[in-house]
Amino acid sequence: MSSLRDRLDRLRAQSASAKAADAAFGVAAEAKADGAAAGIDGLSQLAEVADQDNVGPISGRASAQPDTEDEANNGSGLHPALAALDVEEVAGEYGSFLRRRAIYPLEHRHGHYVLTELMTCAGRLKPIAVRQNRKRGSLAAVAEPEPEEIDAKRLLFLDTETTGLGVGTGNLPFMIGFGYADGGAGTFTVEQLLIRHPGEERAMLSYLLGKFAGVTHLVTYNGRSFDWPVLTSRFVLNGWRPSGVEPGHLDFLHPSRALWKNTLPSCRLSRIEEDRLGIVRGEDVPGSLAPELYMKYLSDGDASHLRGVYIHNERDILTLASLTVHFGGVLEGRLGAEWALPEEPEELFRTAAWLADHGGEQHAERLFAALIAEGTPGGRWLLPAAARLKRLGRHDEAAGLWERAASLAESRLLPTAEAHIELSMHYEHRRREPGIALDYASRALELLQRRTSLRQSDRTRAELDAIRHRMARLRRKLETTGRLG
Amino acid sequence: MNPLTGKAATMEEWLEHLKLNREIMENVTYWHTQPARPARTAPFPPELDPRLSAALGTRNVASLYTHQAMAFEAVRAGRHVVTVTPTASGKTLCYNLPVLQRLLTDPSARALYLFPTKALAQDQVAELQELADAMEVDIKTHTYDGDTPPTVRQVIRNAGHIVVTNPDMLHSAILPHHTKWVKLFENLKYIVIDELHAYRGVFGSHVANVIRRLKRICRFYGSAPQFLCASATIANPREHAERLIEEQFALVDDNGAPAGEKHLVFYNPPVVNRQLGIRRSSVLESQKLAALLLRSGIQTIVFARSRVRVEILLTYLQELTKREFGPKSIRGYRGGYLPKLRREIEKGLRSGEIRGVVSTNALELGIDIGQLQACVLNGYPGSIASTWQQSGRAGRRHGSSVTFLVASSNPLDQYLIQHPDYFLGRPPEEARIHPDNLLILLDHIKCAAYELPFEAGDTFGGEKLVDLLEFLAEEKVLHENAGRWYWMEQAFPAHGISLRSAAQENFVIIDMTEGHRVLGEVDRFGAPTLIHEEAIYLHEGVQYQVEKLDYPEKKAYVREVNVDYFTDASLAVELKVLHVDKERESPGGAIVRQYGELMVTAKPTIFKKMRLRTHENIGSGPIHLPEEELHTSGYWFSFSEEAAAARSANDMQSALLGLANVLVHLAPLHLMCDPMDICVVPQVKAVHTKQPTIYFYDRYPGGIGLSQRLYEKHDELLAEAGRLIEGCGCLSGCPACVGPIEEVGLLGKDLALGLLQRTAGAAG
Repeated sequence: MSSLRDRLDRLRAQSASAKAADAAFGVAAEAKADGAAAGIDGLSQLAEVADQDNVGPISGRASAQPDTEDEANNGSGLHPALAALDVEEVAGEYGSFLRRRAIYPLEHRHGHYVLTELMTCAGRLKPIAVRQNRKRGSLAAVAEPEPEEIDAKRLLFLDTETTGLGVGTGNLPFMIGFGYADGGAGTFTVEQLLIRHPGEERAMLSYLLGKFAGVTHLVTYNGRSFDWPVLTSRFVLNGWRPSGVEPGHLDFLHPSRALWKNTLPSCRLSRIEEDRLGIVRGEDVPGSLAPELYMKYLSDGDASHLRGVYIHNERDILTLASLTVHFGGVLEGRLGAEWALPEEPEELFRTAAWLADHGGEQHAERLFAALIAEGTPGGRWLLPAAARLKRLGRHDEAAGLWERAASLAESRLLPTAEAHIELSMHYEHRRREPGIALDYASRALELLQRRTSLRQSDRTRAELDAIRHRMARLRRKLETTGRLG
Repeated sequence: MNPLTGKAATMEEWLEHLKLNREIMENVTYWHTQPARPARTAPFPPELDPRLSAALGTRNVASLYTHQAMAFEAVRAGRHVVTVTPTASGKTLCYNLPVLQRLLTDPSARALYLFPTKALAQDQVAELQELADAMEVDIKTHTYDGDTPPTVRQVIRNAGHIVVTNPDMLHSAILPHHTKWVKLFENLKYIVIDELHAYRGVFGSHVANVIRRLKRICRFYGSAPQFLCASATIANPREHAERLIEEQFALVDDNGAPAGEKHLVFYNPPVVNRQLGIRRSSVLESQKLAALLLRSGIQTIVFARSRVRVEILLTYLQELTKREFGPKSIRGYRGGYLPKLRREIEKGLRSGEIRGVVSTNALELGIDIGQLQACVLNGYPGSIASTWQQSGRAGRRHGSSVTFLVASSNPLDQYLIQHPDYFLGRPPEEARIHPDNLLILLDHIKCAAYELPFEAGDTFGGEKLVDLLEFLAEEKVLHENAGRWYWMEQAFPAHGISLRSAAQENFVIIDMTEGHRVLGEVDRFGAPTLIHEEAIYLHEGVQYQVEKLDYPEKKAYVREVNVDYFTDASLAVELKVLHVDKERESPGGAIVRQYGELMVTAKPTIFKKMRLRTHENIGSGPIHLPEEELHTSGYWFSFSEEAAAARSANDMQSALLGLANVLVHLAPLHLMCDPMDICVVPQVKAVHTKQPTIYFYDRYPGGIGLSQRLYEKHDELLAEAGRLIEGCGCLSGCPACVGPIEEVGLLGKDLALGLLQRTAGAAG
């Protein structure tokens, strides 16, 4: 073999030519925002890490003062781009890192909502928290009990920027941004921690741990399966061990999907901001570029690459506050009252269904009522909405929706027959009109046959058999009634 | 023999009957009988937990075999242990006993088991669970592999006492997420690696690096587990374990398990054309022997070298015995069958429902299919170790078993069948790995850096780590700060790195006969020759024609057909020497040999249609596929102008081809490697040397040290080739030496021998 250096040189020559080809960033990064790539392995184990009593509770601390145990060093010696962003160096037990702090008055408006609404809306989020932290409840022996109410002051709005995807051990959060509200001071503080190189990570994590004190829930967008598992992994790598306790989650990814999955092109945070929260990002660096920009900074030391990342991350944190207000407001029943109802029937239906699932049946009813009112364009919401009415025993209203769904199905190239079958059942068993029931059943058969002429499966065969069976029964009924009549 | 059913009551009776069968016996060149061996036992060690001895008692185990007792003792003494014993010798107890003993006394302890395949892992869990249940203790054993549902994974990570997985899963799922496995790594006491011999060549070189990573993670969590390994018979078990694990090992190889009498029958198909040296096809003869066994009611396994052979044999056998057996009683088994089908076949073999199975070496590993009575090897499996492994599939602790080794016409088979003492007297092969292959090493340094940053002074493998880290930092894969190297790329490195050559890039075969159904898969290297368009692909004995090969998407669309031929594709190979590292001239100057780096480009060119049974060529067609590049290491030797001068280009061509045909079979024997791992290419006027040259190269990017070894053994290799040609009984070349006359010409044998003797003479 030639020497190691020679062989490495030949590899260098090869990789130079290959490199041009693989610089694809966008695709993979998109997955983070959508949560698809994260949580490869499900949630990490419950973990809240040790020594959190060192730092006092967040509430009550005057937000603008330097921390008692950390030495902040303003500006001097920092890259001008960082100094311009009011970044300061913080030194602690494990070394130093950078912190940027921005303090907003609670009157600050971020898109449609004003931050101060947080203070009341947060309390409404309990149904989400209960649902998302169920696992925690089942481990009651080690977990702290779920607080009775959610207190805006005890929430930490968290978003990390990492060097890669997934929750593997090589994915490093280089920026950890978080926000918290202080009702007394009337402020919402955003802190953004940045490490200038991976060696500063431990100091940053130790500082973050301090901030967890007194926090009941992390408010995130996909934090349950991304940010938190990544952080848990980083704590372990830096010598902390899981204690079995972890903060609760208020992760808005799942509720957002529940509401907007079918009416927005994607459930990326930036899309929701623009289309639903009234936030204009302007010249924004997409989050997917953050890793690339950080790596550029690492290699040339030019901190101006990071400006866009700071701004992006800060907005994300404010948006988490907006989402808190939005979902709090929805749960409180503001839709159709202070706030306009969603325009699209599909979204109206999904919102109503979500509300009903989260203990807001009363408010949901108002939304459903608006939905089934005359003039709402039909769509795929018709069938599930009808199913709900059927469940509630409101058969005639359900039948109205089925009729609309049936006429809609008729006009489609590849129709489904579900509405027709429901109607057939309705007329047979409820209205005792076997004639009409038979009409619907035979129409259902036609539609299904149109569909199955393209592709037969065991399932469709079974469906066809069931319809034929129904028709035979209806015919017998008709004959009997005919004879009697 | 029951005259009515034709079934034999015992194997002994069947063998006696066989010995009277002249038609068979005249082709038997040697009959080797291994006498039955009684058990040698040792009492349970005094410190053995009474719950364990009681549980063993319920399975009628009242004492240990000597090797089990020795292994137990060595583990208790804190040694890393490698156990080497043949199939069905109670090998698993060698590691299960000490592991369970520890877990009984220390419930916080953890053990990690590695098996080369998922199927083996599942067998193992069943066995451990049975023991734990018999003891009525809560020892949780779980498999952790790609099939493990996400909901169960978290439980396994936190609470599994014994986690059973495979190296691939360790590489791509466990190590890169080690922070989720804190409980396991902090308390890891034992790492069990069974089927150690399977970790050789490229795969073994990768696995050695995965183990380097595993040990690194254990150190991080403060654990220093003991390695308990088990291997089938190889020549260098301890050395292999020490190279793979990089620790000192105690060897336990004194097998105390009993064995029944074992017959190894060397069978050479009869010559049908003396002049051309052509023998009857080994496929037909294997089929004949297997049918004879099956009809006598003897459960039989047939091993064939290639997937195509498996399918052909299966078709023939099912046809031959269709009156006696249903189509489900004789099955095929090979890579490319989907897991569910494989499990079904394994189960059928254990229950006895399946009477015969035709397999590639996929069944060579310790997958539990019970013990069969007879084994037919269609062709020499390529190594002595494999032969014993495969033949071990037949053989019970009590009662006789038989293995037929049916020689094919290739020179190596013919050499062995005529020199049984060579086979029987030789130790099995050594397992070799080359973990410091630069490409393999770099790949795993990336993975390791992803898992934990490297620090100045760390070591990883035999090369200078700092140089490699700096290289990766230049490539912007790592970031260096204050003497620590951090992973700094968005990608997840383990995803792009497969431990098994190109296993990740399997081509999926889709049957379009009725709807779309996934039929099986073929690895990337096999694809160009197996599933090119118009190829006949055989699956479970059914013929399919490839209608479309979507190369970029890695999909082949096939449709069932019924034709009387199979296809055979040719590859055109081009060689370019990139760098010469070593050079030596033979004393007389007649031969110059060199060792260095090569670029090999391979492109499939044409395929031939061969009629079933007669194997005559009935047509051909082109293959349009992109060429594949391979950057590897190679060794080549060329003949000087003087040595070549006396010959015409045609004669030289025949001589070289003849010599290459011999060497291609001899080289693996000397290297003790799989014949697939090394390639031989003769060139009359090589681009690099301008001389008649024979090239050897490693069939793996970067090389795995094979051709380097050949370079060193050059003289021995050529001398052996001379002896083989000289000793062959044919007139002027046959498939058993330089090749058939059609290929090397009427004078091929003389020319090859002449070339060798001339140059050797010049040397002497």
